[in-house]
Formats: sequence, structure tokens, C-alpha cells
Amino acid sequence: MTDDGTTTTLAERGEDTAAAPGHRERRRRGVTEQQRPLWMLIPGGLLMTLIIIIPLLLAVYISLIDLDQYTLRRWLEAPFIGLDNFVEAFQSGLPNSIWISVSFAVLSTAATVPFGIAAAVATQNAYRGRSLVRAVFLIPYVLPSFVVATVWRTMLQPDGIVNNLLAKANVDGGLWLSGPKSYWTLILVEIWAAWPFIYLMALAGLQSVDGEVHEASAIDGANWWPKLTHVILPYLRGPVLLACLLATLNHINNFTLPFVLFGAPAPDDVNVMPMIVYVTSFQSLRFGLSAAMAIVSLLIIAIPLFVYLRALRLDVHEEGGRK
Amino acid sequence: MTAPTRRRPAAGEAHRLLPPAVLFAVTVGLCAMVLIPLLYIVLASLNTDLGVASGEFWPSTFSLDSYTRIWTTADLSTGLLNSMLVCTFVAIASAVLGTMTAYVLVRYTFVGRITILRGLVGMQSIPGTLMLLPVFVLYSSAGNYLGVAVVGTRWGLFLAYLTFALPFSTWVMVTYLRGLPRELEEAGRMDGASTVRILFRIIVPLSLPAIVVSGIFAFLLGWNDVLFASVLTRPETQTAAVALSIFGATQEGGAIPVYSQVMAAALVTAAPVVILYLVFQRYLVGGLTAGGVK
Repeated sequence: MTDDGTTTTLAERGEDTAAAPGHRERRRRGVTEQQRPLWMLIPGGLLMTLIIIIPLLLAVYISLIDLDQYTLRRWLEAPFIGLDNFVEAFQSGLPNSIWISVSFAVLSTAATVPFGIAAAVATQNAYRGRSLVRAVFLIPYVLPSFVVATVWRTMLQPDGIVNNLLAKANVDGGLWLSGPKSYWTLILVEIWAAWPFIYLMALAGLQSVDGEVHEASAIDGANWWPKLTHVILPYLRGPVLLACLLATLNHINNFTLPFVLFGAPAPDDVNVMPMIVYVTSFQSLRFGLSAAMAIVSLLIIAIPLFVYLRALRLDVHEEGGRK
Repeated sequence: MTAPTRRRPAAGEAHRLLPPAVLFAVTVGLCAMVLIPLLYIVLASLNTDLGVASGEFWPSTFSLDSYTRIWTTADLSTGLLNSMLVCTFVAIASAVLGTMTAYVLVRYTFVGRITILRGLVGMQSIPGTLMLLPVFVLYSSAGNYLGVAVVGTRWGLFLAYLTFALPFSTWVMVTYLRGLPRELEEAGRMDGASTVRILFRIIVPLSLPAIVVSGIFAFLLGWNDVLFASVLTRPETQTAAVALSIFGATQEGGAIPVYSQVMAAALVTAAPVVILYLVFQRYLVGGLTAGGVK
């Protein structure tokens, strides 16, 4: 039994070193590199190619053909029209949607940062009931988006609870879910649902502050506000910037919130990119045009994504290389 | 003997970031922001439809009526069953395939490894609307060209959910496995154990919490989806998310809107998610930021 095992290992090592160029490095790493079970990548890799890479390439192709409900049945024969879909996309509502999406994402991110940092700073020091408070802070983030959107939609109805309470204070709430105010409704609900993400990332950042830093500033006799802004917050810059990047990506990609909050087609003021792509394909049934719009939105997302990928440590071979 | 006990509170004082009054104000403010809407949702679900429609915050009569009536007015049971079924399979498939793929990506070097890792992160940021369109075209052409109906089936939805659950689970496992010391496996390898044996006897038992977390996140991604389910399901195969969204949207503008039932239905569809978080809270909070994408 043991003999058999060793012979196969030796044989495989012989093959491996003869074939692969990185031979010296491999020897240094020792036994682990002798038999690389690359076959284990096949099920996951094959599946991801099949369900992600191929559809993505297909999306690029669809954006170049004139595909609508008539040509869908025989889409392989749909006429190739080059960049016409992209031209039409920019002549239609797309630039407006890009502006709405980007401004909505940036405003939402900016507004959630103070909440997140305040929550992280407030739960950093232990006190009785802190774990309960931490659990409460996570609630909006844990609730599914479609639940958050449904309950806020109900509360913000013209005759809903929000307007009723405002009426008691002699304020006319007006319409929250249509007209120009809908844009601010979307931002407010997104802030309510998304601030705990910044909180979690800021909390992780606070944990990296050394105890000595606190003691040094205590000896200096620093007051809490200068200590917070000049000593503690600089430690949070990295984690919070990363959190902002990811949060902005999530806001731009958020389909569920506007879709459930306002329904499709969305009011003009909240016609964000995911909504215009969805309505163009599944209500107007202009699949080619919609694919072109989706690809433009991917290109816009690629900017923050590229920054994130550059910042992320990917060389996982270094032990303890967690970001 | 007294010196160390006296120094300890002093050190605690130095670590204190906020004076008590500010701490109290911030905590109460944030808790109120979260809990007041939540309190209203719970109260409204325990109210009657009439009471909610008349604008009560505190119900004049408490009843569990809404919780019993939603099963007939909204198609919740079909939705919950479908969601449970599809998402469980998504969770299992993502956790198993994700663990295998992540193990190889973390432990072995080969050409294209960094590209794959970068791709895993990138894939999570692809807008769902961009993925849905080609998936829909492929599914409907499977019906047109091959005569296999995929649109409207549960397994079609299962495959569609894997497009975002699989990269996410794999990434969660990558971040976990690279923190695992290599020495444990090398001991096994010295004894001549095969890779599969090492994976199942050493890696899997050690990383079971992470595997469970990656599965739960895959489950939640599926459970929370509205986009794919709204296009790829029929009424018989619709998920809880779609059932709730439709129920919420169609109840407006009627003679007596059934807002109380909408709130009850919302809480019922959120319950599985909340229970999962409560049970696995310790493990899940770390994972919330691991992949960075919800």
C-alpha cells in the first residue's frame, strides 16, 4: 500500500518538474506543490464559464444586433446593426439615468458615512447592553431589500403613517412615491437600509487602533473631540474609503429598492440605470437596446471597480495576506 | 496589591472615545432611527386593516388576524416553499463547489491564478440587469431551439442564482482558507494521504464554520433576489420576494387597503433571514464585510 503511494508520487513529481518551468520555486515550497489537483477547478470553473462568461459574451453580441420580441424566437438570425443600439441609447433616456444613478449613489454614500462612523465609535467601548445595541444597528442591513422597500412603500403612501404623523405636526407630507420628491425618498430609504455597512467596516478599522495610542493621547490630556478627530479618525481613513467605494458600487447596482418602492416603469426622477435597462428589455421588449444600456452601465461601474481591484491584495500565497 | 486594580479603571478611562452624554445621545438617536419604523411595522401587523388605514400608530385593538389571513390573500405559502427549495440547493451547490475551487486557488500556483481571483471579485459587481438579459435569451432559446422549457422552472432559477452566488461563496472561502496554516496539510501529505483525502479529512472539518457561512450567504443572495425571479418565474414557481412585492403593490388604491396584512407578510418573509442571522450571528458578521458585496 505505502509503496504504491510513494511510487506514484515520485512518478508525478518527475513529470511535473520536467514539464513546468517554475521548477526551482516549486522545490522550495516542498511537498505541497508535487501534485497539483487542478482538476478540482473543473466543476466550479466549467460552471462559471457556462453561466457567467458565456452569457456576458452573449450580452455583448446582443448589444450589436436588433433583437426585439419579433426576432427573439430566432435570435441567431437577428440583423447585425453595429453600434446603432449604443447611438440610440445615448439619444434616449440613458444619459439622464446615468446622472440620476451616479448622483444617487454618491449622495447616499456620503450621507451614510457619518452614521456609520458615529455608530462604530459609540459601540467601541464596552458597556452593559452593548451587544444588544450592536444587534439593533445591524437590523436594517439584515432585512432583505424587498422587505425594506415594501414596508417603506406602505408607510409612505399618501394616506400612510408618515403623512399622518406629519399632518399632526401641521406639515403637508405630499407625495413621496411620485414626482420630484421620489428621488429624495429613494435616497432616504437607501440611507436607512445601507448605513450599517459603513458601521461594520469602520468597526473593523477601530479594532486596529493600538491601546498605546489611547494612553498617549490621555497623557497629553487631549479632550474627546480633538482626540477623536486628530488621533482616532485618521486610523479609519483606509477602511472607510474602501467601504465608500463598495457602498457606491452597491448603490449603483441596486435594482430591488427602486423596483419595489416605485414599481416599473419608475417615475422619471428615479429612473436609475438598472430600472431603465429592465424596463427597456422586459416591458418595451427592446433587448438589443437594453443590452447596449447594460454594457454602458458596466463600463461606468468598472471605474470604481478598477480602483478597488488595485487596492485589494490578491496574492493570497503570502500567509496572513488578508486585506 | 492595590496598584494594579487602581490602574485598570484608569486605562479604561483612557480608551473611552466619547463622554457619557455624547455616547448616550448617539446611541439613542441611532437606535430610534432603526427601531421606530420597525416598531410601527410590528404594531401595524398586529392591528386590523381598518385600524392601519385610519392612521393609528398604536393599535386600538390587537389581533393576529393579519397573520392568519395573508395565507389566503397573498400567495405566500407557494412563494416561501419555492424560495426555500431553490435557495437551499443554491446554498449547497455554492458551498461545495466554492470550497473545492477556493482550496486550489489558495494552495497552488498556476498560470492565470491571479486573473481568476480578480475575476471572482469583479463578477460580484456585474449588474444583475446585465446578466439577466443573456440568461433570459438563452433560456427562451432552449425552449425555441431545443424544445426544453427553462423559463418558469425552479431549476432554471437555481442556475441563474448560481451566477452570483458561486463567485461570492468562492470568494468567502478564499478569504478564509488563506488564513489556515499550511503545516496541517503537510503532515497529512507526509503520511501519503491523497489530495481528496486531505480535503475531506483536514480542510473540511477545520473550515466547517466558513463553509456554512458561504452557504448561508448564497442562500440569502437567492432569498433576497427580486430581479431574476420577477422575469424567470411563473405564478406557480414564484419566490417569496416576488409574492410579497406583488402583494404590496396591488393593495394600493383599493376601497380598504390591507396595509396590516402587507406588514405581516413582510415580517413573515423576512423571518427566515432574521432567524439565520440570530443563529449564526457570530460567524456571519465577519462575512458581511469579507466579500464586500451584500
